[in-house]
Amino acid sequence: MTPSSEIASQSYTLNCRMSQEAAALERLCRVVRVRGFRISKMAMESAGDSLDVLLTLEGSRPVAMLQSQLEKLHTVTGVELMSGAVARSRTA
Amino acid sequence: MNGSEHILAAFHRHNISTVFGYPGGCIMPLYDALVDDVGVEHVLCRHEQACALAAEGYARASGKLGVCIATSGPGATNLITGVANAYMDSIPLLVITGQVPSALIGTDAFQETDILGMTLGIVKHSYLIDDADSLPEILEDAIAMAQSGRPGPVWIDIPKDMLLADVHTEAPAPIEPAQPECPDISPALAMLREAKRPLLYSGGGVSLAKAEDSFRAFADSSGLPGVVTLKGIGNAGRHNLNDLGMLGMHGSRAANRAVDECDLLLVVGARMDDRATGKLDGFAPNARTIHIDADAAEFNKLRPADIALRGDLNAILTAFTDALANQGLVIGDWQKQCRTWHTTGGFRAADNEEPLAPITGPAFVRQLSGIAGDDAIIACDVGQHQMWIAQYYQFNHPRQHLTSGGLGTMGFGLPAAIGAQFTDRNRTVINVTGDGSFMMNAQELATIRRYKLPLKLIVLDNQCLGMVRQQQELFYNNRESHINLDDNPDFVAMARAFDIPALHIERTDQIRRGIETILAYKGPMLLHVAISREENVWPIVKAGASNKDMIDEPRKTSSRKEQVA
Ligand SMILES: Cc1ncc(C[n+]2csc(CCOP(=O)(O)OP(=O)(O)O)c2C)c(N)n1
Repeated sequence: MTPSSEIASQSYTLNCRMSQEAAALERLCRVVRVRGFRISKMAMESAGDSLDVLLTLEGSRPVAMLQSQLEKLHTVTGVELMSGAVARSRTA
Repeated sequence: MNGSEHILAAFHRHNISTVFGYPGGCIMPLYDALVDDVGVEHVLCRHEQACALAAEGYARASGKLGVCIATSGPGATNLITGVANAYMDSIPLLVITGQVPSALIGTDAFQETDILGMTLGIVKHSYLIDDADSLPEILEDAIAMAQSGRPGPVWIDIPKDMLLADVHTEAPAPIEPAQPECPDISPALAMLREAKRPLLYSGGGVSLAKAEDSFRAFADSSGLPGVVTLKGIGNAGRHNLNDLGMLGMHGSRAANRAVDECDLLLVVGARMDDRATGKLDGFAPNARTIHIDADAAEFNKLRPADIALRGDLNAILTAFTDALANQGLVIGDWQKQCRTWHTTGGFRAADNEEPLAPITGPAFVRQLSGIAGDDAIIACDVGQHQMWIAQYYQFNHPRQHLTSGGLGTMGFGLPAAIGAQFTDRNRTVINVTGDGSFMMNAQELATIRRYKLPLKLIVLDNQCLGMVRQQQELFYNNRESHINLDDNPDFVAMARAFDIPALHIERTDQIRRGIETILAYKGPMLLHVAISREENVWPIVKAGASNKDMIDEPRKTSSRKEQVA
């Protein structure tokens, strides 16, 4: 969102489920960067045809905006914003 | 069938009859298959950037899928600007490139580039084929994806060995388009009925959704005053009295005033681009917002929506029209106010009555609009001339106005016009360009000659990069920096070198004759129009400023007569 609607930098944890396709991870990281977030931790696990990626992010823009951009990626099948406690126990 | 033949089979299945491309090493198997194919017309442009932009012009003018093809390495990298342009304006494009053979990928082979990696940010999706048997299904997916939801470019990079390999799978059944989605409009309808000063703000999403008719029905039946973005120009047609024209940086005072004063903004297929909104804090400060779009990611991206309606624009607009049929909106006073603003604050540039006076951009475009008629397609480039077209040409339909909105790509106009001409060889297609932009893809004059296209070219020549000069004048203390083009080639001679006859005009009394001559000529023709170097586009909002702070032309004291567009 606009600089004026930016908030102080916050930390978020997103759980992204993706299909195993060429450059799936690159696409994900690219969107995170371009939409104004920094990856501070990342854990990835293959599960059959899927990839589960747990991202801890920092940024000052609304995370909902990032979430809707990630959901647009053809390789992404789901994005879940983790609440604080769950996020801590699952973060890599 | 091998991979190449499967590509052509996919073209046939989807009635893709025209593609734009340029051959080279790794894509040669596909070009070899094209030799025996009679159902696909391959148009050879003279630069891959022009192939992509021509495919885009074709898609924009027709509403169909555009297809461009190139070889690996430099062929693929040359496509990038055109594909980025399509991405920014959500144009459905299928991009096919050859890649070095699978075994050589990652070895820095001759003409190897990681085009998939380089283009991740400018495609809706992309594929690198690593199994020839996957090709038929990927082609189906790519063709459907490029055109569905919010359209965009889909890129398939195919190693040479995959083009040659036998494919052992068949294409799956074509993907059925999803059922149009229509959310519940009742809360939005209630909000619309409550509003005293509601304003329709529409963009390119209307024609991308092929919702032009339902938009027009809604605009007409609701009587809502409306403003449009650069890409929404033509949405309301030539004759809608409530259409205030373009808003934003070079929008009309009337359009920006209406946005400033409205109490409800009904946004239809527009993405709140900064050139349209100016400083966001000052944009429609008193308005609630209803946002209608096919792409959920546009909601709340730049401005919070009080109500967001995601779905098929056709279905949503028709639902509104139906609901208003029983009980219309009571907005007579507001309509009257907006029409008054339009009369006093529409685009107004002075026409010089003096026959020997130099030609101005607005005066030229106004005459062109009157003469070229309701059906002509105008493909413009980027700069002052582009804004004069947006301000003074009366478009009847958004697909008549081909303009590079999101990326602002100089060099777009000529190849886009070529693409548009391939949708209908009898249609009047005019490329209106500036002397800077024209030189960015001037090699395409050869394409016009080769395919005997009856395209009309109009170069508004101010001997400089006008839009940059204007900004330097207004915002950089008139310190001109590298904008001078007074050593331009002789454009008339240049056109003639490609067998394109050309005319030069420079006086006001030559405008009509010049336009009529090129339009009456059966083949391609170029009109070289010398205009003043000092002319600016008015009004203007400084980048980053609020639309309220738009700057008008300083008063002129000549014998000019003002007209409102
Ligand atoms: C490829 C590209 N390079 C640079 C620019 C920046 N730019 C925007 S308008 C403009 C000047 C265009 O000059 P011209 O085509 O002569 O049109 P005019 O403004 O004079 O009408 C420039 C350099 C751009 N939009 N695209």
